[in-house]
Amino acid sequence: MRICKSSTRSMALVAIALSVTLAAAGCAKKSDAGTGAAQSNTLSPAKVKIAFVPGGAHPYFQPWKNAAQQAKTDFGLGGVTYNETAGWDQTKQNNLLQSLAAQGYNAFGVFGVSPDNINSTFSDLAAKHLLVASLGSCPAGTTDAASFCLATDVETAAYQAAKTAIQQMGGSGNLVHLTGNKTDSNTQRRIAGVQKAVAETNGKVKLLQTVTDIDTDLQTAQKAVTDLLAAKGTQIKAIVNTAYNPAVASASAVKQSHLPIKVIAIDDDPTIIAGIKDGSVAATVVQNPVGQAYVGAYGLMKLAGGCTMTTPGVDIDSGSFVVTKTNVATYDTQREAKTTQLKADFDSKYLSCK
Amino acid sequence: MSAPLPQPDPTIATGPTSDQQVAQPRAVRTLPFWANPRFGLLIVIAVLVVVFSSLRSSFLNVDLTIVPMQADLSVFLVVGLAQLAVLSLGHMNLAVPRMAAISAFVMGWCYQHLSVPLWPGLLIGLAVGATVGAAAGWIITTTRVNSFVVTLALDFALVGLVSLLYSGVGDGVAFNVHPAGMDSLRTDTFSDYCMGNLCGPPVPLIVPIAVLAAIVVGLLFRVSRVGREILMTGSNLRAAELSGIPTSRRIIQAHALSGLLSALAGFLLAINSGAFSADIGSSFMLPSFLGPVLGGTLLSGGAVSVLGTVLGAALTEVIRTGLNLLQFSVQQLNIYIGVVLVVALSLDRVRQVVAERRGSRS
Repeated sequence: MRICKSSTRSMALVAIALSVTLAAAGCAKKSDAGTGAAQSNTLSPAKVKIAFVPGGAHPYFQPWKNAAQQAKTDFGLGGVTYNETAGWDQTKQNNLLQSLAAQGYNAFGVFGVSPDNINSTFSDLAAKHLLVASLGSCPAGTTDAASFCLATDVETAAYQAAKTAIQQMGGSGNLVHLTGNKTDSNTQRRIAGVQKAVAETNGKVKLLQTVTDIDTDLQTAQKAVTDLLAAKGTQIKAIVNTAYNPAVASASAVKQSHLPIKVIAIDDDPTIIAGIKDGSVAATVVQNPVGQAYVGAYGLMKLAGGCTMTTPGVDIDSGSFVVTKTNVATYDTQREAKTTQLKADFDSKYLSCK
Repeated sequence: MSAPLPQPDPTIATGPTSDQQVAQPRAVRTLPFWANPRFGLLIVIAVLVVVFSSLRSSFLNVDLTIVPMQADLSVFLVVGLAQLAVLSLGHMNLAVPRMAAISAFVMGWCYQHLSVPLWPGLLIGLAVGATVGAAAGWIITTTRVNSFVVTLALDFALVGLVSLLYSGVGDGVAFNVHPAGMDSLRTDTFSDYCMGNLCGPPVPLIVPIAVLAAIVVGLLFRVSRVGREILMTGSNLRAAELSGIPTSRRIIQAHALSGLLSALAGFLLAINSGAFSADIGSSFMLPSFLGPVLGGTLLSGGAVSVLGTVLGAALTEVIRTGLNLLQFSVQQLNIYIGVVLVVALSLDRVRQVVAERRGSRS
């Protein structure tokens, strides 16, 4: 690159700016005292403002809205908000959390967009003396920088779903797994759960295909399921879904195609529940989003009040339940009982209050 | 800082703005300073800052708003520069997101498995980005296929490759290694460093990296022969060839620069988010065009504006942060971002037209 003479002054300015930067970097760093410390002041419930921040807009999180309001009423919280504008982008979610903190929210229930990066976000919030619980999804790896994680054990839930599928298949045949974003570590855990259940059949069940990245929207899932059924529909004995959109898509596609495929869905969307009732969906694995938000708010409120976690960063299973035609009318009672039990467990096991 | 090429028609109404270098006859009437698109952007940003800070005082909160906004702006400025590098040719680089992702993978792998220090790892990542970018440029010049098609195809190929690499060679979907200096770069501001009682400003440590990138790109297009020949190539390929400019080489160099800046953006995002993961760059596509285009860089090539890119990226960041603070719902947020951008661009165009009419009457 040949530089004109007139640029000399500009280059000199750049050099000065760099020198200043480097000199500044060479200065002594202020003490890090306080970084990562938990909230030091105890707050009454009326001063606790909790923000529930899912990774983005998704039907799974809709129960969080009512559960948050219920928690506000039951626990006398100062305020709750639900904000789904993160748009499945970790950078936007980080911005959103900072914005909510700037508005006075002092506790956060967060479904991290990226389980691999979310510990950094949690550490940042903790460094600002804000409380954070990981709800609906735990960080990847063995450490959790949040006070606690209250989420479905996704590997166990996928394992349960696959076992149910294998049972419905009669213990042999070809199984297909439909799931979400391959670069999400939760998806990797779900794949591992399904593979574990298949491995236990000693080759009687073959995992024909694992289709990833089709949970972006219903249209994407519908296209993928239609293609799958057109290509391999007659070979497939069961489809196990570990993501919402593929579950809804496969339930309706199999029903329309009249193929003898057993569909194992996830969550309790009205389409899925209707499918269970009319027999087009063999079973579904429902999770406990209400319990995550309600009990998560309870835990955060107690932590703000001066309690500490007996095991900081503990992973707590919020529960998953297999729903079939036999228990489709009563599964919600089972789920409510789990929520009540979780709240009691916080008092008896997870929290230490003086 | 911008540098369009000489205009073929000296009577053209939209004359040069104050920060543009134009080698054209002196007879051309210069528009008033307020007709400069960059000035318009600056005014829009200033108005929005006043509006947002009056509606929510927390908009001026240093720790929770100003500092994170600067860190994000640094990433999206470099993303915008990556696109600007090829917009100078009238090309597009739709593979900016995945060039960032593949470079971030290599950097993360080097940090995790070879224990490479932070800065040498960055240099390796930049080299990878530049190589991928140069390959895109080489394919474009060799096959004469439109850059849109080539980079779109490259992006698809890299999506698969990145995913395979993370699941095959990597450890799942991310490298969570933190080489020495990474945490400081992520969390510290210059106010954390003091000389006696004198501490620096609340500016994140990564900001100077983005500023340096902007200065270097600005100088490249403003004062270097290579930069001006790239612009000439973008303005009129045939004329550039007849002038003896090695256009193929310049196209490859511009795409290599785009790849290098994509890699730098990937590095900065990994620093901000705390991990070198497979989803690095997935949100880069729209911001890569927004900054330069809002700032006055022509999609047709031949004129770029680095200062405009800075202001364009700043405008989108201010809008998003402001609307976040006003707690709009996801649907409202998207509508208002669109409305504010359209209004901002329309006002800018109105201001420019008024300036041109006044100029033509005088």
